[in-house]
Amino acid sequence: MKNLYTLLIAVTIIMGLGACNKETASTQTEVMTKMLANKNWYLDYTIQGNSVKSYVGQTTYFVTYLKNGTTSDSDGLIGSYTVEMVNNKSQIHIQAKTTNGNVIEYIYDIISIGDKKMIISKADTSQSTPAKFYFTSN
Amino acid sequence: MQFGTINLSKSTFLILLSVLLHTQLAAQNLNTKQQDSLYLSRPFAEKVEQIKKSAGKAFGNYKGNHLSLFGALSFNKQLLNDKGINAPVNYMYDEVNENAFKTGYTGGLRIDGIYKDQHLYSISAAINKINTGNYYLNKYSLSPFVEDYTHFKADNNFTTLTIALHYKKLLPLNDMVKYKFYAVAGPSIDYKIFRINSDNLVNGAGNRVMISGDLGAEFDNNDYYTIYAHYKLGANLWKSTVPVQLNRFEIGMTIKAKDLF
Repeated sequence: MKNLYTLLIAVTIIMGLGACNKETASTQTEVMTKMLANKNWYLDYTIQGNSVKSYVGQTTYFVTYLKNGTTSDSDGLIGSYTVEMVNNKSQIHIQAKTTNGNVIEYIYDIISIGDKKMIISKADTSQSTPAKFYFTSN
Repeated sequence: MQFGTINLSKSTFLILLSVLLHTQLAAQNLNTKQQDSLYLSRPFAEKVEQIKKSAGKAFGNYKGNHLSLFGALSFNKQLLNDKGINAPVNYMYDEVNENAFKTGYTGGLRIDGIYKDQHLYSISAAINKINTGNYYLNKYSLSPFVEDYTHFKADNNFTTLTIALHYKKLLPLNDMVKYKFYAVAGPSIDYKIFRINSDNLVNGAGNRVMISGDLGAEFDNNDYYTIYAHYKLGANLWKSTVPVQLNRFEIGMTIKAKDLF
């Protein structure tokens, strides 16, 4: 009986010690990277201000993000990407080379990302209403 | 004849005397270490003895304890409020939402006893395999593109360790000798073991410990076995960005360990 009481007390203490939250600084980017990676993302819409363009059902632009941190798109860009948190904003940071070998770098703000739907906008301060890109994954 | 009687008394007296002397000699026949220990102070042993005495006093009012094993089926559903999540993640509502009770199971040990000869109680420790339906209270949309999504995806399958303390009240039903009915109530604490999925940790939503209020009824069939039905309403013990309300119904049976082994 005494041993059982000791066991109950020990389990209670362990529960108390293990009660802290296990979230780390990288948890959010880890989750978003998991949603983004190893998929082809097809562009369905672009919206800029009141202008809406639909590409649904057309052979159009797509981009692939792989788990190893590389990316490529249907325009021939090949490079690397990282999902980052900058000033409390979730972003996709891409460094790539064009087919001509020119290096380009661009950053997208993530508006919403899931396993099947993603909305991003170009982090470009020159435009008052940045363009939003609506993607669907396969 | 009288002479013989005297002889018998004398001989009895001699035997008793020799036994007494032998006992005294044996008591004095200690080795050096034992003799030393009689004169040395033994703080540790004395402390242990003191603790034993105080524990005896403390638990002296808990009587009639007997150990039982139990197993149960559980039906589980949790309500989730993801209002505190600001991470830009989406999960399709129809894919993650299940407004239904799903089946799990539980097993463990339980001690039943009586406190101060008046208050019946049970203390139990169990391991639970919980399979839940997850009902999300909030829906969001980014019209017209993303319809009905949630910001959070909770685990719907996890394992917990539970400790419960229940007060039992014998109900005045039937003859109350062979067949006893009890109403039970009390708190329980669940601790999620194993790894928590990273989707559950975003924005500090992760919470391993849940506290529940339990309410139920038990039927004791002549001390052969007890059948019980408990309802448990649980919530996160610590503040979370996703408050969870876990509803559980358990239907199970306990059998005294001494009857099994």
